[in-house]
Amino acid sequence: MIGPDTAWYLAVAGFLFGTGTLGVLIRRNPLIVLLSIEIMLNGANLALIAFARHLNDGNGQIFALAVMAVAASEVVVGLGLIVALNRKRVPLDVDRLSSLRG
Amino acid sequence: MIYGAWTCLLSPLAAAGAITLAGQRISRRTAGYLATLSCFVAFGGAVATFVSLLGREPEQRAVVSTAWTWISGGSYRSGFEILVDPLSVMMMLIVSGVGALIVAYSIGYMDGDPEERRYFAYMALFVFSMLLLVQGGNLLLLLAGWGMVGLSSYLLIGFWHERPSAIAAAKKAFIMNAIGDATMALALFLLIKKAGSLEFGILGGEYSSTVATLVALGLLGGAVAKSAQLPLQTWLPDAMEGPTPVSALIHAATMVTAGVYLIVRTHAIFESAPHVADLAAGLGAGTLLIAGLVALVQVDIKRVIAYSTMSQIGYMFLGAGLGAYANGMFHLMTHAFFKALLFMAAGIVIHALTAEQDIRKMGGLRDLMPRTYQAFLVGSLALVGIFPFAGFFSKDSILAAAMDHGAYGYVLWVAGLAGTFLTGLYTFRLLFLVFWGEPSPFVREHFHALPRDVVGVTLAAPVAVLAVLSLVGGWIQWAPLWHPIETWLQTAAEPTVTPASWQEWVTSALALLLGLGGIYVAWIFYGVRRFAVPRFAFGQRILERKFYFDELYDALFYRPTVWAAKGLYRWVEDPLIAESSASLGQDTRDLGRLVAKVQTGLLRTYALAIASSVAVLAIVFVAVK
Repeated sequence: MIGPDTAWYLAVAGFLFGTGTLGVLIRRNPLIVLLSIEIMLNGANLALIAFARHLNDGNGQIFALAVMAVAASEVVVGLGLIVALNRKRVPLDVDRLSSLRG
Repeated sequence: MIYGAWTCLLSPLAAAGAITLAGQRISRRTAGYLATLSCFVAFGGAVATFVSLLGREPEQRAVVSTAWTWISGGSYRSGFEILVDPLSVMMMLIVSGVGALIVAYSIGYMDGDPEERRYFAYMALFVFSMLLLVQGGNLLLLLAGWGMVGLSSYLLIGFWHERPSAIAAAKKAFIMNAIGDATMALALFLLIKKAGSLEFGILGGEYSSTVATLVALGLLGGAVAKSAQLPLQTWLPDAMEGPTPVSALIHAATMVTAGVYLIVRTHAIFESAPHVADLAAGLGAGTLLIAGLVALVQVDIKRVIAYSTMSQIGYMFLGAGLGAYANGMFHLMTHAFFKALLFMAAGIVIHALTAEQDIRKMGGLRDLMPRTYQAFLVGSLALVGIFPFAGFFSKDSILAAAMDHGAYGYVLWVAGLAGTFLTGLYTFRLLFLVFWGEPSPFVREHFHALPRDVVGVTLAAPVAVLAVLSLVGGWIQWAPLWHPIETWLQTAAEPTVTPASWQEWVTSALALLLGLGGIYVAWIFYGVRRFAVPRFAFGQRILERKFYFDELYDALFYRPTVWAAKGLYRWVEDPLIAESSASLGQDTRDLGRLVAKVQTGLLRTYALAIASSVAVLAIVFVAVK
């Protein structure tokens, strides 16, 4: 096998996932939260492909493709929501969007 | 022969179905003709059956015909079967014959009623039910017919459903009868348990005295309720709320005598429980006295006749309870003739006076409607038992039978003789008040003669036929001299008492004298009015209140039930059930409010919860591995 060992790929994937999680937890701008989620998804994708190579099994790649499709749809919906919020002059801050509390 | 019996049973049912299904496609008159025709066909079938039975040897006169197996479970089996024997044929002839005449009379009486079709469908249904009762080949079918006559009686008493009093009377009759039906059903359950079958034959089997007594008591309960005897008699006078032909057919001629038929049909079990048979005779004697006394003060023409019906059925119970089955059945037959006659003559009076039933407003009708007067007179003489009218032959032989029953029998004999005096008194009080004297202002204002068309003919013809039957119907049997009915019923129910000839003669003479005495007293006070009617305020009040039976049952059953229901509502339902369901709802809501606090609406809290949960899960997963 050419290139670095599978462990390195997993390390990068873990790093990406951790970065995304932190972004979701820390940032309050919904746009950035969406971006962070994309980073988490990409971390997961990287792990999937790394394992696919490691186990010599194509299923992992198929899953990665499916995740990309879902991510794309999710971004469309998410961005649409954010645009709609902006049009209503609602402040773009996830902490202030809490009218659904019990 | 069997075909005749099945025709007899099914033709009224066919008419009831046809009238119901045809609805408004046939005229009201046609519905009446259809019902009448079906009853005459039934009568024809009964006559054919009777004739072919006559041609057989006495021992071979009981035939069972099974149409199909109706119920079968385990070792138990009941067929849909009819029993043709001398007893059931006699009842078939009475029910279909008198029934046909009364349904024909209804064509005139119910003319112009907006719901005639419903009326005739009910009448045909009743005749079918009654025939099922008397022809049913086992106790289960008998009970089915028993219940169905109760239903038709309920429907017909409440026929004028816009009158609240009619609805109340119908419900009262139904509930009183349901008590009897229940005791009967219990008796049948016991029989199934002990004998495993409900054929009539098992009644003669060997049972312990407890079982025999219980079964006989259960059957007696049913008989007492259906025949309006003590202590379940209060429904019959109220049942007069129904149309007059209904009173004549159901509450005089046929259904109310079903109790007598039941005792005669199941006589074997009563013979193995002699105390219950004595009780039946005693109840009959008590009823005939009480009803006779109450009849003295009634002011409604139909109620007087209703009380006389109760009293006459008392005589039949007396006979059947003593074991004089043939005499009881003979009186049942003659009573069907003269009581239907009295009711229908009274119906013509009511019809002529625009539905007035209060005898205090009547009077002087003798010259206005002479033929109705004659018919009523024939019926009254037959009822009192004056020679040579029908009641003389049938009633006296029942009383004579009482003399052959020891000391207890003599008590009943005295009660029955006292009853004949009362019968003469109340019957002719009614006759004199309605027909004698000068026409009252009310009569002069409201009287209109019978029309000479279909209405008049259908009203008059059956009355004429029954008047003739009330005269000659009794000649069939004169106990001391000839007794074909006793011979005819010999195989079905053999009498257990045989009064001697002198007892017959003595009883007849005494009963005739007492009956005439009653008529004479009535004549003095109400006919020629030589003396004013004496007044006994206290006694009169008791009689007008019908010995306070209604009030007693009210206090014993109705009020405690209402109190119990109110108490349960107040002390059980309200605090326990209503409260607990309300607090259950409140608690659920409180819990929901508590859980809702978790829902903060802050996106990052949720994300943290998910992330930390996943982290915990991952750590646990790794640690367990």
